Amino acid sequence: MTPRWIATGLSQDLPKAVAMAGHWQGQDLAVWRSATGRVQAWNDRCPHRGMRLSHGFVRGETLACIYHGWVYGADGVCKHIPAHPALTPPATIRVAAFACVEQDGVIWVAPADTVGAPVALRGLQPLRSISLTCDVAAVLAVEPALSGGDALRGLVQIGGQACEVCLLVQHNAAGLTLHALCAVGVDRIAASRWVEDLRRRAERKGAA
Amino acid sequence: MIRLYDYVLSASCYKIRLMAALLGVKLDQEAVDFHPGRAHKSVAFAQLNPAGTLPVLVDGDLILTESTAMLVYLAQLAGRDWLGPLDPKSAAQVQHWLAFSGRLAASLGMARLHDMLLYEGDIDAWRAQGHAALRELEAALSERRFAGGVWLVGDAPSIADIACFPNVALSQDGGVSLDAYPSVRLWTRAIRALDRFVEMPGIHRLHELRPAPEVA
Ligand code: FES
Repeated sequence: MTPRWIATGLSQDLPKAVAMAGHWQGQDLAVWRSATGRVQAWNDRCPHRGMRLSHGFVRGETLACIYHGWVYGADGVCKHIPAHPALTPPATIRVAAFACVEQDGVIWVAPADTVGAPVALRGLQPLRSISLTCDVAAVLAVEPALSGGDALRGLVQIGGQACEVCLLVQHNAAGLTLHALCAVGVDRIAASRWVEDLRRRAERKGAA
Repeated sequence: MIRLYDYVLSASCYKIRLMAALLGVKLDQEAVDFHPGRAHKSVAFAQLNPAGTLPVLVDGDLILTESTAMLVYLAQLAGRDWLGPLDPKSAAQVQHWLAFSGRLAASLGMARLHDMLLYEGDIDAWRAQGHAALRELEAALSERRFAGGVWLVGDAPSIADIACFPNVALSQDGGVSLDAYPSVRLWTRAIRALDRFVEMPGIHRLHELRPAPEVA
């Protein structure tokens, strides 16, 4: 069964007033954080001419398209069209929003009508989002201590110590992205090197 | 005055214009008809630079044809803080990134020249080498972030950052997306927010820092 909630990034990588690309099951999303800190995920197509809104820029509580500057408010409704400053845009010009929550330092997205919350990840700290050109099977093959499907969890050796890790899986066209978390207190530089090493081994396995 | 033989769309020329602007150094910019004129390959230009590459920087009898050397020269003249910290470890790391910037030019830079100016070559290999370089940069910048840092070396921006920035910021022009590199993206934002930052086609100052073009 495909999960409803998919991790699409880490909170630490989306500061205030920044937009980035995300996706849910092949659906491209613009994920952005307003000046006051509110995170939202929208369809990544500007209603005007289809430019990617993830390339846009945040001003206050609005996201503006990079192309012709149409401005969208917190509800996804177009508030301002620079070429027609006197016009109040009709409420039908609206970007479709996804459900988006931030929990345990992870940004999760799901279709708008989703009920319930993503799985809680207690005792873990966000590490890095890392993309791989192989599949989950290759990751599990090179790191037998890990298990799972949508969240790979286990006790692995980092810097000579057993350490709990959780890799949240996001599939994409080129392979997958892993949003990695590790136990609170673990040295993140050592853990980051472990993730890099895991990727090298998994991609070699995947290519074999 | 220091003269820069320049081409507006060149990532390496922009590197020098950006460094000079950040340092407050005024350059006498001489536009060279790189495309389509190929004036940098002319016999006359070979007197300045036998290799026929841009940029070329001339100050009196000094002629520099390597952009990393130009960064060192400008920083030595006008802002030694930009050389980075001088302890052995940091000094070596700055050299690492200056050399690494050559790998960015040979991968991301070539992919962009292929897509924009129709250079011939193995585009898939250039893009793959570009991603390999971006992975290294992402790993290094992530480690810097875990240690509370923003810049490649030390607590302040340096010639290491400026050397690597242009080809990374222009990678999309060569069909290489930065979507998979969050630490790299945040680092490019930090550079784009610097005081006295200057733009080039394809690289803009943070829009968020510009006043809203509001009409009453
Ligand atoms: S495409 Fe977004 S404003 Fe025109």
